[in-house]
Amino acid sequence: MLHAIVFLPLVGAIFSGLFCRKIPAIVSEVVNTCLLLTSAILAYFVFYKVVFGDVVITEIIFDWIKVENFQARWIIVADSLSAVMLVVVTTVSSMVHLYAIGYMHHDPHKQRFMSYLSAFTFFMLMLVTSDNLLQLFFGWEGVGLCSYLLIGFWYQKESACKAAIKAFVVNRVGDLAFALGIYATYVTFNSIEFADIFNSLAHHKDDVMRVFGVEYKSVDVICILLFLGAMGKSAQFGLHVWLPDAMEGPTPVSALIHAATMVTAGVFLVARFSMLFEYSEIARLMVTYVGAFTCLFAATIAITQNDIKRIIAYSTCSQLGYMFFACGVSAYSAGVFHLMTHATFKALLFLSAGAVIHAMQDEQDIRKMGGIWKKIPFTYTMFWVGSLALAGIFPFAGYFSKDAILEAAYASGTESGRFAFWMGTAAAFLTAFYSWRLIFVAFHGKQKMSKHVFEHVHDAPWTMSLPLLVLAMGAAFSGFIGEKMGMIENNQLFWHYSVSLGNNQVLEHMHHIPGYISKIPLLVGLSGIILAFLFYRVVPQAPVVMSRIFRPIHNFLYNKWYIDELYEVIFVRPLLYLSSWLWRIIDGCMIDGLLPMGSARLSVFCGRVINFIQTGYIYHYALMMIIGLVGILTYFVIYN
Amino acid sequence: MNIGFYVGVHHFLIVSALLFLFGIAGILANRRNVIALLFSIELMLLAVNLNFVVFSNFLNDLTGQIFVLFVLTVAAAEVSIALAIIVIFFRKTNSIDVGEASKLKG
Amino acid sequence: MEIYSLIFYAFSFFLLFSGLMVISSRNPVHSVLWLILAFFCASGLFLLLGAEFLAMVLVVVYVGALAVMFLFVVMMLNINVETVKRSLNKLWPLCFLVILVFAADLYLIYNKSLTTHHFYNANATVKAPFVDEVHQIPSFDEVTNVHALGRIIYTDYFYVFQLSGLILLIAMVSAIVLTLREKRFSKRQDISKQVSRTRKKSIEIVKVGYGKGIEL
Repeated sequence: MLHAIVFLPLVGAIFSGLFCRKIPAIVSEVVNTCLLLTSAILAYFVFYKVVFGDVVITEIIFDWIKVENFQARWIIVADSLSAVMLVVVTTVSSMVHLYAIGYMHHDPHKQRFMSYLSAFTFFMLMLVTSDNLLQLFFGWEGVGLCSYLLIGFWYQKESACKAAIKAFVVNRVGDLAFALGIYATYVTFNSIEFADIFNSLAHHKDDVMRVFGVEYKSVDVICILLFLGAMGKSAQFGLHVWLPDAMEGPTPVSALIHAATMVTAGVFLVARFSMLFEYSEIARLMVTYVGAFTCLFAATIAITQNDIKRIIAYSTCSQLGYMFFACGVSAYSAGVFHLMTHATFKALLFLSAGAVIHAMQDEQDIRKMGGIWKKIPFTYTMFWVGSLALAGIFPFAGYFSKDAILEAAYASGTESGRFAFWMGTAAAFLTAFYSWRLIFVAFHGKQKMSKHVFEHVHDAPWTMSLPLLVLAMGAAFSGFIGEKMGMIENNQLFWHYSVSLGNNQVLEHMHHIPGYISKIPLLVGLSGIILAFLFYRVVPQAPVVMSRIFRPIHNFLYNKWYIDELYEVIFVRPLLYLSSWLWRIIDGCMIDGLLPMGSARLSVFCGRVINFIQTGYIYHYALMMIIGLVGILTYFVIYN
Repeated sequence: MNIGFYVGVHHFLIVSALLFLFGIAGILANRRNVIALLFSIELMLLAVNLNFVVFSNFLNDLTGQIFVLFVLTVAAAEVSIALAIIVIFFRKTNSIDVGEASKLKG
Repeated sequence: MEIYSLIFYAFSFFLLFSGLMVISSRNPVHSVLWLILAFFCASGLFLLLGAEFLAMVLVVVYVGALAVMFLFVVMMLNINVETVKRSLNKLWPLCFLVILVFAADLYLIYNKSLTTHHFYNANATVKAPFVDEVHQIPSFDEVTNVHALGRIIYTDYFYVFQLSGLILLIAMVSAIVLTLREKRFSKRQDISKQVSRTRKKSIEIVKVGYGKGIEL
């Protein structure tokens, strides 16, 4: 059954990809969506079996590499962590497929889109069901590739191509660190299979590795490298620059990849290696600080942005920070729980934004929208549901998972945990603020669009609305269900040892923190909503005045903390100069000049020299003959 | 290097060598005159013939003279063909300047 | 011995002098005439060396045939003496050097030959004992030089003799072919064509209509 779940999307991808010109679009759409839905339903069965039956399903596909000690096999495994991810990925993916049928209705390349989406799902599923680091890396790279293909889907647009390359290159930086982590793992554990690694962990926990002459603990090195890889994939601070530009892709892509699945691969990696992270103090510290900082950083940018999708993209970046610092304080299960709920409500938000864009004839700037809430009530409701879940208001999903994370951060008792808690709380305030800013500016107020566009604002067709509904169910209830199933309990009834529960029992301590601390997130969220209401409905001039007073701060936040410009100066421009120089001088003059051009010029030169000798005058020929004769004679005279 | 008045083989050899040298000098000096070129070649052949006959005499071997006979034959054949070519060449260009025959210029 | 030497010196002086004049004459006809003189002197030298046949052949073939042929061609070409240019050779240093080197080579070889003893006697009048038994030059009392040559040409050097005949044949053919002009359109009789005419090819009976002509 696992085979089916993982490979059905691949079948769909190959089918749509190979026959994209020959089959009508509707066939490819229907086939792919049905395959995905089947995969999703099967995933629920697997989930039930694995989690509640306490089994781990392992299915070996075939042996791949076997060189002395190094062994890599294709095995798909479903333990609790994988099962949760399977459910998340297949559900969101199948909903996005269904949505894309409606959203991409006017696009000439529907088959290609379906193929890419299914291929992406396949790679993601390979990633989450893998048994060894090499297979995980295969899935990792594959999702990076599909992300590139999908971001640059409208390849005629130059900005889309640039964004795709940016995403891929930044991912690559993370991948480099990940690859180094794999090598470090092999060197330490002599194996890259998870079973071997986790079983022999106790033996190797004090191993030491020499890096550039300095000795470090092996576990530290491995964890830091793996986390760097995760930073690239999950757009943490430093390697986050690709995520906002990735919004050049169509909205279903943003929903699938940049909300629910690919960006969560980083969190999945850290959760998978939770056993290792438990032994590495430094790595967890790094994870916590980076995650907490990213969380606040992205939220500060989001409050100034004007593009619907960018706001939601920064929101994703911020929520990923939450997940990471949850793992950093050893509350891995809380992190994965938030991953699950976040997938549903973020996908919901993205798809709703897509519905709005579709209704507004491809307008994405919220300053040009307004006053349309009566015309698209369904979408408006979906937005409210998603935003409530995002802000963490009871009883929606975000309340349970966000609260769990913040409480765990506070309860961990460490300085980093405390730091993370306050950052997370501030970010929660800002999250609520910008989410409701989005709603009020986009749906309420004066209509700022042309009359023609306003006439045509309509609710989405059923292919787009049904996924919204399904995801709204998830956004509303998944938190409640998750808690009831025991996702964040301090026993292994749910996770069955697939994720570590941490040494310092942070999940246990969570229940003993003071009461007011546990209420803070909720209060903060509500106050954010009220502030946004005040700013954008009651006193509409207030934000304008504020941005004028605090212009430098506003500019700093609006320009994304000038990080893109910084990278441009530090990395991009020198690299361009260097490569241009290399191309012109080394490649052009030296290599090109020596070998192909050089030999051509040499033969021309020789030809010219010989040409000079061949004068056509008999006299010269006779002279040459006589000189030759005299030369031979002289030789014999001298040497005899 | 006492050659002495009374003639020995060395005297003949000197004559032959000088004649050959004159022949080569003729080739090198007569840049434009193709007939002079031919004469120089004849001179060289004559010098060679002389050389052969000298050695035939002093080695008491008739082979040298046989060889001279055949050199003579070949010289005659070669001169006749050379003159034929010169005639054609002259018909075409109406001068004996061999520098005009530079169509094989590379 | 003295007469021998004197005659040798006379002949060789004229030989070298006329050789020099051949190559430095402006008029080709003059060059031919000097060449003829050179041949005669060489023939004299051959006589001194006892190769009578060759001396005569030199006169008959070289002078009688070759030099005359030269004269014919030179006169036929109708060269305008003034137009025979004597421009300064641009490569004259190189030529001078070549000649110098060559002269030095010859001198060195000559020097070397002084110390080797390949010759029986440096004296011309005494013949050396034979080297090769078969081709020994017989003394004049037995056989003439012509006879002696004839003895070995048709026996030992037969193939060479035939080859030289072939060479002459080729030379003759090629000289004719090279200088052959295109056919002039002269009317000639082809007997075989005339005899092989048939009635059918010669006569054609045509019915001529009244008042009309024939088209040929």
